[in-house]
Amino acid sequence: MENRGSNTPSISPAAVVVAAVFLLVSVIGINWFTTFVPVVLPEQASAESKSVDELFYILMIIGGVVFFLIQGMLLISVIAFRARPGDEGDGPTYHGNPLLEIVWTIIPALVVVFLAVVSFNIWTQNTEPKAAINMVEGQSISINVTGARYAWTHQYVTERFDPDGNQIVINSGPELHTYIGQNVDLTLQTQDVIHSYWVPAMRVKQDLLPGDPRRGGRPTQLRFTPIRVEDRSYPARYPIVCAELCGDGHGRMQGTVIVYEDESQFLDQFYEPAIYAILNPPADPVLRGEIEIQNYICNSCHILDSLGWTSTTGPSLNGVADRAGERVPGQTAEEYIATSIWNSGAFRVPGYDQQMAAFGPDVMEATNVMSPEQLYSIVAYLCTQGEQSDCDMENASAAIPDAIQTVFGYEVDITFGMEDDEDEAMLEADAASDDESGASG
Amino acid sequence: MATIAVPLGGQAEQQEAEAVRRPALSDYLRWSVDHKIIGVQYGVSAFLFFIIGGAMAMGIRLELWTPELDLMVSGAAYNSLFTIHGTIMIFLFIIPMWAAFGNFVVPLQLGAKDMAFPWLNAFAFWLIPPAAVVVLLGYFVSPAEAGWTSYPPLSTLFSGDGQTLWALGAHLLGISSIMGSINFIVTIFNMRPPEMTIWRMPLLCWAVLATSIIAVMATPFLAGALTLLLLDRVAGTTFFDAAGGGDVLLWQNIFWFYSHPAVYIMVLPGMGVLSEVLSVHSRKPVFGYRMVGLSSMGIAFVGFTVWAHHMFTSLQPELRIPFMITTMIIAVPTGIKMFSWLGTIWGGKIRFTSAMLFALGFLSLFVIGGISGVMLAALPFDIHVHDTYFVVSHFHFVLFGGSVFAVYAALYHWFPKVTGRMMNERLGRIHFVFTYFGFLFTFFPMHVVGMLGMPRRVAVYVEAFQPWNQLISLSAFVLGFSTFIVIYNVIKSYYHGPIAGANPWRALTLEWQTTSPPPPMNFDDDPIPFEDPYGYGTEASAAYLEVVDEAFGVRSNRAGEH
Repeated sequence: MENRGSNTPSISPAAVVVAAVFLLVSVIGINWFTTFVPVVLPEQASAESKSVDELFYILMIIGGVVFFLIQGMLLISVIAFRARPGDEGDGPTYHGNPLLEIVWTIIPALVVVFLAVVSFNIWTQNTEPKAAINMVEGQSISINVTGARYAWTHQYVTERFDPDGNQIVINSGPELHTYIGQNVDLTLQTQDVIHSYWVPAMRVKQDLLPGDPRRGGRPTQLRFTPIRVEDRSYPARYPIVCAELCGDGHGRMQGTVIVYEDESQFLDQFYEPAIYAILNPPADPVLRGEIEIQNYICNSCHILDSLGWTSTTGPSLNGVADRAGERVPGQTAEEYIATSIWNSGAFRVPGYDQQMAAFGPDVMEATNVMSPEQLYSIVAYLCTQGEQSDCDMENASAAIPDAIQTVFGYEVDITFGMEDDEDEAMLEADAASDDESGASG
Repeated sequence: MATIAVPLGGQAEQQEAEAVRRPALSDYLRWSVDHKIIGVQYGVSAFLFFIIGGAMAMGIRLELWTPELDLMVSGAAYNSLFTIHGTIMIFLFIIPMWAAFGNFVVPLQLGAKDMAFPWLNAFAFWLIPPAAVVVLLGYFVSPAEAGWTSYPPLSTLFSGDGQTLWALGAHLLGISSIMGSINFIVTIFNMRPPEMTIWRMPLLCWAVLATSIIAVMATPFLAGALTLLLLDRVAGTTFFDAAGGGDVLLWQNIFWFYSHPAVYIMVLPGMGVLSEVLSVHSRKPVFGYRMVGLSSMGIAFVGFTVWAHHMFTSLQPELRIPFMITTMIIAVPTGIKMFSWLGTIWGGKIRFTSAMLFALGFLSLFVIGGISGVMLAALPFDIHVHDTYFVVSHFHFVLFGGSVFAVYAALYHWFPKVTGRMMNERLGRIHFVFTYFGFLFTFFPMHVVGMLGMPRRVAVYVEAFQPWNQLISLSAFVLGFSTFIVIYNVIKSYYHGPIAGANPWRALTLEWQTTSPPPPMNFDDDPIPFEDPYGYGTEASAAYLEVVDEAFGVRSNRAGEH
């Protein structure tokens, strides 16, 4: 029998050279690794992103050392310790080395303790509740985010009031508006399944958890503070992504964070115009409906070319007014459209499941609350979607409220949102614009 | 000098008479209580599911070639595709695949005639085909589309009947897994020869023991979770329905209390395989045998305390820290294994057999999965990459770079024992090169797209990620192609491979001290294990192997080419 090998591992000079070269390469390599940080991560657009990226940097250095150490030893082994041709022998009988084993237990243990401490510090620093949150004009307001398949809705509960004394709520749809230095503190709620609100540029993410709407749901919080990004023009836009599988349209469930340069830009370009629009709705119900319908999550499921909606979960709304009159025997087009919104299960378009959320004055979900007046304007808008509308467009300001009255028993205040003394003029304007839409249809 | 142990009496003449005496192919299609038949039944069916699941992965990568929906008719169709891909790969491929090697090798390594409960063993296997039919049937009725994790309420209030069938199928597979594991535990504790103390047991047995303990302790939680899910779906209960007083996080907690330990069910046997293959093919004892064995137990134990790191974005913020710490601790026993394996090959005489190449490939890829695992444990960083392609990359590095590479290493290593014939080493090397580089270029770039902002489980994505996704898809097709090489090799070698003989790798563990394939009762006499399963390099071991050679004759081309 041939030689079974000596008792000490023999390392050839070649292996020493390889080891030296490798050590050099690893030092350069680790350096090179870290230059990738800006390439492999999005912009640092929040205070939190800075510290998270610092942690990433630390992880890359430690990971790089481990990577090059292990790959290096592997490489040296396969070069230096390969069996030479014709060598049928065994390696040395070497069962272990308690000291070495203790070392490679203790050192990784110390490394993870270090990482745990660093991570803990960054975590507590990033999630600490801040004193002044969502500050607008010196006041702290609430910003509520609703996730529903497959759209985000943002609501600003302002500290301003309309003439009737109601608190004004701005609905900015899939857009979150903020400004550099604002301590954003979002309250997240879902209407259906679990979603996850992720802003990659801010390095923040939080799941939205279904709760019992009768008990106020199960709100979760998300906090971050936007910072200035070099070479960025403001307002800057960053994507919001849904990170938790929520169904068919999960990949399309997106939004945008719009960061303004400072509070005055935020007020000028977003806040004040939004409040003005709420206080001064267009007189024409069709125009009002066009605005109202975009405050709801309809775009998450429907196609509507005039508004650029592309989702295919529900039936297309293109030309809906052409079909509305023939859908349900005995229902006028206005009645059908109104029913399909408030009582969406009443008629199911062939080929589609009943998936639509409930809308109405009494629903639990704040973002789905729809007053009879809002329904009126939305029906008026949808009545214009078609070549030859089945709706009575000549007489929309009477026909639609009648339909809502017939189906749901609600009285519609068609002077909604207008000063009383303007009523007459507005009504005339309504009729005029209805003529126009009817004619253009 | 230790006494020279003699395995058993010579039957060289029998070897001459019949080179390879193996069961007829039809025996594998019947009910059999022979652990070797059952092992092959597990292995071949698991490999078939690997091909089906792999074909689905190809579909996924084809869909992701462009940022829009093109191959799939809808997002929902894509969702059901990756749901069934994950379900097949986990429940019908990896877990049964380890049952295959465990079944075939463990009783042989223990010198036993069979498993402790042969009938139960067969029953556990035969639960798999009906379970697979139920799961696959679900795909054709109205497919489950909530991912393999099936989070409610998506999987309860918003899914079709396929989800119910999915849960029923997973239930059956859980039962199969529990029965198989009880069998392994009883076998390993009771059926060793008197000379083989637990500290002389081969490390694959240690790994299978640790795995089985996890499976027996954790799988009932899966059963509990699935039962609640089924009740919610069909009986109108509201365990997970908030409107009825339920809680969606209840599912996440119970599910991950099973499914995180299940990750170790999927990889620990592979680590056992690594210890065997690295030692035999570098002709050197396993470095730090006790620590390697104990670290399996350590991983099994700590593995039960980390589940909520899967819930870092849904868990109450103050509960996240303890789970970050336990998760990081797992790195320590895993590190012990990595370093011990390096210590094993260090200074050895490495034979670059296909089995060894895949074992070395495991080392080189698993370390990347380990590093990304620690990164994911670091809570603030995890928050950014949670549920992104970074995570997809991480778990494929540990489950493909880890488990599948170990499966291939095990296949090349034990194929001669199972079939009596050697596999083609040249094809094995080609297979390794395609698999290694195909894998690396598929899954490494996924880290980057994940960090840049691509969430997982989407069929549509931002256009900026298209070049990355095309690189990933191209490499995935190379990886997919590599599978055909090994399929061809297995079929060709089964019929035409060189005769292996009893011990082609000159290994010391007991499965090699009998004919290939072994006779129906495994050993014609009570086998005597060598004092040290990895005692290479001593004169005693040389003498032991010589006796084996004399007893069974040397038929193989000895460890392939060097």
